[in-house]
Amino acid sequence: MKVSEIERLTTERPTTANRRSGLRSGTPVGHEKRARRAAIPFVGAALAVVGIVLLAPFVYTIYRSALGNGGSGFVGLDNYVTMFRDPALQRSMINTLMWAVGSLILPVGFGLTIAVMTSAMKLGAAARALVVLPYALAGTVVAIVGNVLLSTAGSLNQALAFLGLTDPESPIQWLLQWPMNVVSVIVFAAWQTTGVNVVLYMVGLQTIPRETVEAAALDGADGWRRFRFVTFPQLKATTAVVIGLTITNALRAFDMIWVLTSGGPNRGSETLALSMYRQSFLMLDPAVGSAIAVVLTIIVVACSWLYLRRQIGQES
Amino acid sequence: MNQLRLGILARNTIVIVLALLWAVPTYLVVVNAMTPVASYTGSPVWWPSGFALFDNLAVGWEAGSFTAPFLNSLLYATLGAGIAVVLASLAAFGLVIMPTKHKRLWFWLIYAGTLLPLQVFALPLYQAGVATELYDTKMILIIVYVALCIPFGFFVTRNFMVTLPPEISQAAKIDGAGWWQMFVSIYLPLIRPAMVAAFVFQFIFIWNELFFGISLTISVENQPVMAAVATMQTQGSALSQPAILATALVVSLPAVLVFLFFQRFFVAGLTTKI
Repeated sequence: MKVSEIERLTTERPTTANRRSGLRSGTPVGHEKRARRAAIPFVGAALAVVGIVLLAPFVYTIYRSALGNGGSGFVGLDNYVTMFRDPALQRSMINTLMWAVGSLILPVGFGLTIAVMTSAMKLGAAARALVVLPYALAGTVVAIVGNVLLSTAGSLNQALAFLGLTDPESPIQWLLQWPMNVVSVIVFAAWQTTGVNVVLYMVGLQTIPRETVEAAALDGADGWRRFRFVTFPQLKATTAVVIGLTITNALRAFDMIWVLTSGGPNRGSETLALSMYRQSFLMLDPAVGSAIAVVLTIIVVACSWLYLRRQIGQES
Repeated sequence: MNQLRLGILARNTIVIVLALLWAVPTYLVVVNAMTPVASYTGSPVWWPSGFALFDNLAVGWEAGSFTAPFLNSLLYATLGAGIAVVLASLAAFGLVIMPTKHKRLWFWLIYAGTLLPLQVFALPLYQAGVATELYDTKMILIIVYVALCIPFGFFVTRNFMVTLPPEISQAAKIDGAGWWQMFVSIYLPLIRPAMVAAFVFQFIFIWNELFFGISLTISVENQPVMAAVATMQTQGSALSQPAILATALVVSLPAVLVFLFFQRFFVAGLTTKI
């Protein structure tokens, strides 16, 4: 397909060039029409790939969620009813909510704190580099790191026992009990996801006019009040984007949870992203699996609204 | 004045504590990855006790047959990100520079893919893959990664093109350049920074991707590298922790190096999201 696309594009050139000589005599409307037709291969290639590989499956999943398994035909909302009645999936929805709230507090809070505190600091860039680097790691690798730290015989329990904070005989089971396992993974995920928010907030800080901060300093506003009343209000737009991006990414998180806990034990640490995979591919229940995918999509798109609003504003 | 100094002291302390906190996991991975298996007791160590990084790597690499997955991911990341960025720039050119109708509709149709969770595409793609015998081939992952990377690549190149002065295309038109010629010889060099940003971003995304790797492929010859890492971690109980860590460390290097080397571009790509 790609080759034919390129051929079409290359043959497009002489035709347009040839027509160009006759352009002057042609009406402006005819010119417009020809130019519009010339745009078809340019836009069409990307649109075709996205349409076939992403949009069509998306529409099919919505349709599939209204069908039963094994060719049992249209079942209306039955799959959704099954989904909301399944205790494991109820737990999964609670966990998904915990992920959304947790990522709002930790990566956003740490991102803002680190960006603001290091922005005017000597060696601040070095501190930022340490925080940003894990962002380039795969969720799979982050899970392996998390396993070193959080397993019951792991580094975190070693450190706590060494400091005398816990009894070495009864280490804390970070990954084995709900809701502790969900909280542990959310907290450790912040190690990776904070970096991107630091970068976004640094960009936001650069857009604040220097004069306003200097004026506040002259007025005698100290660090905290300067942040509270001058800096933070001007980071409102950035914060909306950061919150929107962080929550939607947290809702979509799959790799790290899958490799660290496989959603277990007893499906206790699953989120909807994992539940969909387990239900569809491991339990071979595409009917409910599709319903989970649709519910997840609705939640993600609703949360995306936080930062989409701005983009839509720019488009119109 | 004293209060100000106290404030700065508090700030510096917080930053140092946070920076150390962030460095600990990386430090532990490096130390444990180079610990000789002989001196590894089954739980993580805090201090180095020898240097066996390459021995551990050899063990892990061999056990997980990493050569094929590693090369696969190089192929997927390079081709997937490369083709996607070219198609995305063509679409951006078509919608920004060329006169087209329904610009907003086309924009949202191409861009919408980036808003949806991957799970909503997975089942139909799996079924289509089985039906077309593309399941568990390199081709299906290349196609899917290209499609996944187009929306954001389109967004970045489009936003960049919007900022270019319209006089450029007017001047090219007067010179009698065709659209294709105009794209290749005038716009392609101009938007190169945006294309590099999008490429770097998507290269790292594909290199680190696991979900489609395990949903659409199953054999070692076709799986991407993170699928092999996940298998090693979840099923390779026979492997010692140092071997797993050494391998995970090395397979992370391509994405980390690309990230460090092109950090400037990466940040540029990221901030177009604002």
